[in-house]
Amino acid sequence: MSVEAAARSRLLSLFLAGRRVPAALAAVAVAAITLHLALYRPWNTYGALQLPLIVEAACAAAIAGTLASPFGEPERVAGSRLPFLRSTMVVGLTAAAACALAVATVGVPLSGGVAALVRNLVGFVGLGLLCAAAVGGGLAWTGPVTYLILGVYALYTQWHGPALTTPWVWPGRPGHDPGAALCAGVVFAIGLAVYTWRGARE
Amino acid sequence: MNVEAADLTRRLGRTQAVAGVTLTVDRGVYGLLGPNGAGKTSLLRMLATVLAPSSGRLRLLDGDPGDHRQCKAIRRRLGYLPQNPGYYPRFTVVDFVEYFALLKEIPAARVPRAVAAAVERVGLGDKATARLRTLSGGMLRRVGIAQAIVNDPDLLLLDEPTAGLDPEQRVAFRALLRDLGQTATVIVSTHLVEDVGAACTQVGLMDQGRIVFSGTPDELTRRGEGTDAAGDAPLERGYSAVLTEARA
Repeated sequence: MSVEAAARSRLLSLFLAGRRVPAALAAVAVAAITLHLALYRPWNTYGALQLPLIVEAACAAAIAGTLASPFGEPERVAGSRLPFLRSTMVVGLTAAAACALAVATVGVPLSGGVAALVRNLVGFVGLGLLCAAAVGGGLAWTGPVTYLILGVYALYTQWHGPALTTPWVWPGRPGHDPGAALCAGVVFAIGLAVYTWRGARE
Repeated sequence: MNVEAADLTRRLGRTQAVAGVTLTVDRGVYGLLGPNGAGKTSLLRMLATVLAPSSGRLRLLDGDPGDHRQCKAIRRRLGYLPQNPGYYPRFTVVDFVEYFALLKEIPAARVPRAVAAAVERVGLGDKATARLRTLSGGMLRRVGIAQAIVNDPDLLLLDEPTAGLDPEQRVAFRALLRDLGQTATVIVSTHLVEDVGAACTQVGLMDQGRIVFSGTPDELTRRGEGTDAAGDAPLERGYSAVLTEARA
């Protein structure tokens, strides 16, 4: 490895350590194991849809916990590499969480399927990113958690109408619904763009 | 000139934090004095490119900080220590300073030497591998100064850098400031007039968002001579006399 490549790798590792990414990965792993163990139990239809949603929101909240910078203004004015570091961290963590949750559902029944699981996770993370930019990294977790309440309510309305059918409330839509996937994707893309460019509000 | 500001203003909500500052500073140590709420921190944050001016003209290191590309070039040559810098407690001193060295795009081959030099300059060579959570407030302050100087900045901005330092550390820090001022523009915001007297070649006194005095420490001292201005030291009497006059 060249000296420059080693320096870039070292910068990334320091950035990730400073954002407490190892702790977030541990939380994601715990969430994935919990999901796997919980899915062995028999659930009614409502519970089987609700359970993965709670775990997805927990993973997104763990990712949101990495968005705040402990270094403040000196970091913001220290160069032009921060946007790359921010986006690498968010995309990497989201991909890791999606993989961990998908692996956790292998061999156990998952209502909605892996597509819904990934869609919901991506949307939750997008809301965390938008919250970080709007109200600060320390409160970024409030986005996924608040939306979880809406998602649980959307599932509830499928049994106790009138049902919430807008694709913007994607947890209430089936996994193969393209509109819901698009909405979750748009929220993630906008959140990622804003966070990459500006970082979390201080 | 490394800093050229003309009629610079900044409004924060309903408060006019900076109300028309005109300032030119070149190499040397410039002390920014003033009471709480005078606008020193807001001015320093604008010079650090953290805060955009509401109006006025600002040029730093012959570049325009309002232009994205020029701002990036300015930031590579800038060192900044805010009033309340953040730390990640599990980093060691070297981790912390190295992180900023890499962020500031110092050529990779030069990073280890630059980090070691910065840590030595602030007198923390023997604490290089200590975790930040184990350091005292004064030592953390010095770690913050080390990150600010690791890239040998041409413009160094320090907001209350001596807060929390003991007298021995402050004396050493003033010597460091004088040394840095040989090659760079150093702007130090402080409440402590003795720091200004000992380390600064120029001094500006801010009150209510404006610079009400600009000159040498000796000139500020002379403003207090023959007056009944409050203060235990000549420079403090000059400070009080200028403030009293500005508010009259």
